Amino acid sequence: MSVDLEVAEPAPADGGVPAGRGTWSLSWHGLRTVTVLELRQRVRSTRWKTALIVWFVVVGVITMLTTGAFAIISGDQSSDESFGGMVYSIVVGFVLFLGLLVAPTLSSGAINGDRNAGTLATLQVTLLSPAEIVLGKLAAAWIAALAFLVASIPFLVWALVGGGVSWLALLTTVLMLALVLGVVCAIGLGFSAVVSKTSGSAVLTYLTVGGITAVLPIMFGLLVPATTTTENIRVWDVEPGYTWEETTAPECEWQTHEVDVWHSERTWWLLAPNPFVVVADAQPLNGDPEALSEDGNMLAVLQYGVRYARTGDDGPQDWCSGYVMDGDTVQAESPVEPVEVTDQLVWPWGLGFDLLLGAAGVIVAVNRLRVPTAQLPQGTRVA
Amino acid sequence: MTPDGGIRAQGVRRSFGPVHAVADVDLVAAPGRVTALIGPNGSGKTTLLLMLAGLLTPDAGTISIAGADPVTQNYAARSRTGWMPDVFGTWDSLTAREVLTTVAAAYRMDAAAGQARAGELLELVHLSELADQPAHVLSRGQKQRLGLARALVHDPAVLLLDEPASGLDPRSRVDLRVLVRRLAAEGKTVLVSSHVLTELDEMADDAVFISRGRTVATQSVADGDRPREWRLTALDPEALTAWLDQNGPAYRRESDGPAVLVELAGDAAAAALLRSAVEAGVDVSSLAPAGGVLEQAYLALEEERR
Repeated sequence: MSVDLEVAEPAPADGGVPAGRGTWSLSWHGLRTVTVLELRQRVRSTRWKTALIVWFVVVGVITMLTTGAFAIISGDQSSDESFGGMVYSIVVGFVLFLGLLVAPTLSSGAINGDRNAGTLATLQVTLLSPAEIVLGKLAAAWIAALAFLVASIPFLVWALVGGGVSWLALLTTVLMLALVLGVVCAIGLGFSAVVSKTSGSAVLTYLTVGGITAVLPIMFGLLVPATTTTENIRVWDVEPGYTWEETTAPECEWQTHEVDVWHSERTWWLLAPNPFVVVADAQPLNGDPEALSEDGNMLAVLQYGVRYARTGDDGPQDWCSGYVMDGDTVQAESPVEPVEVTDQLVWPWGLGFDLLLGAAGVIVAVNRLRVPTAQLPQGTRVA
Repeated sequence: MTPDGGIRAQGVRRSFGPVHAVADVDLVAAPGRVTALIGPNGSGKTTLLLMLAGLLTPDAGTISIAGADPVTQNYAARSRTGWMPDVFGTWDSLTAREVLTTVAAAYRMDAAAGQARAGELLELVHLSELADQPAHVLSRGQKQRLGLARALVHDPAVLLLDEPASGLDPRSRVDLRVLVRRLAAEGKTVLVSSHVLTELDEMADDAVFISRGRTVATQSVADGDRPREWRLTALDPEALTAWLDQNGPAYRRESDGPAVLVELAGDAAAAALLRSAVEAGVDVSSLAPAGGVLEQAYLALEEERR
């Protein structure tokens, strides 16, 4: 056998031991090796093209149905109105929803599946560091998830052409979608390193995603009584003794009432990690509620709602203005300013939290792949 | 033999919960020699090899692989170790060549060197014709050979082969033996685990017997001059036993045939016995060692434990 020693890490001439690379050392070469290996297997062994085509068709059908429905609802006279906002928000919401369903399956079997197939240890004994193995697998899963995202972009652009949505919004939306899917992949990877069965890690990943998507907002709702306090609030109210049978508009005046005030600004952060909130809040804010309701852009509505929750509203209230009696509008201008929602961003908090979850997944996985192993997960073999 | 080359394991222990997979193993495998690791199923061979390969931490004891401690100098130890696991998982959708180039890349070779090395190894294990077939169409024996090639990709100084011959056809077994001998001749340390002893007989220089996680014996497989049983047959079994009764050494009849088994000190004693038998007019038709050296040693150990 002709033996050409090509190992990049030659034993030093002094007979010592090369310092080597630690658990966390990373190289482009190592990352690419693992990612290419994973993607090759994935492309060849799964019905990859079929899945992408099905995805493309489903998102396309949703887009068409939404556009059609909008045309019917708004009737003929709205032909000059923009339909983009609603279509856009529905397509984005749908893509995110499907993405949250698909992403866990892309990564939650990456480590325990290999372990069960006996191929994990063959990578671990090579000179790849655990971090390279984990991040290479994460990159492969993420690239797969991004392929689905890319397949949906034509429909987002179509909605954009319909008007009402800015290019900047498209950019932030796609970016946030990509990041959120990456986070879900990282969480799945973490669980796949901890749990020995692939089905188990998939379930845990879905539960985690469900937790930040549904459970936290539900908690936000359940905490409404706890965050509601009774306070003395200045109210722009009708004059005392005004009965609503009168045909003249009420005279309005300042009064002080005991009112239940919901301090949503104390619990808004429970909404922040929700992927839909992250995606919605990252777009440029449209602070005008009336324009929102006309446009039908549900993402913008969601963004407005979350910002409103963060703002909280314990200012003076107007219980009087706007009563128009028999065309008689002799009323003083309301001194109560409508609430301006905060321009403080919500998404960095939510995305930050999500990224921490993803980072935790990666760290757990890398630690589990450290060799030599002191402990094995229950019911697993090294090889 | 350099002082820190080869494999040295001392007092190695490892348990999984209440199961003491490896209870106390001492093992020395010298460079340039093939060492057989012999033990019954479940005796801890695979667990020991996992520790030697740097995948498992021993609970106690010290290991040195070509001078590096797999616990504290794991990276260095890994770079010098080629490990062929017993259960051979493979990336099924990759071709044999891609499996090897991937492993080469994982050992930090550049692409060109990896390609060259893969071609060389495929030639070596006679898989060149199947090089571009996906690995899942390979037979068990072919996969086994691919696994061996994979362990050799980075030209390691120490080779750990866990049941390398299982699933191999006779031709491949011979090839394996020749290859292992050649690797040892190049100065590599080769540790082969198996429970098929006749196979090891032909390739091993030394043997380490383990049972229930402990080293129970260490011996070298020297040629010829160690007492062992020989199997003797003659055209007329009665004449043979009659002659043996009078002149020969102590013997016993084989239970399932006309042959007899005699204990002889070595090759010279066998030649002497044959000559005197023929001179005495006994028509000896065959005289050969009964079973391998390792098999006899192994069975003797089993006897002792009962």
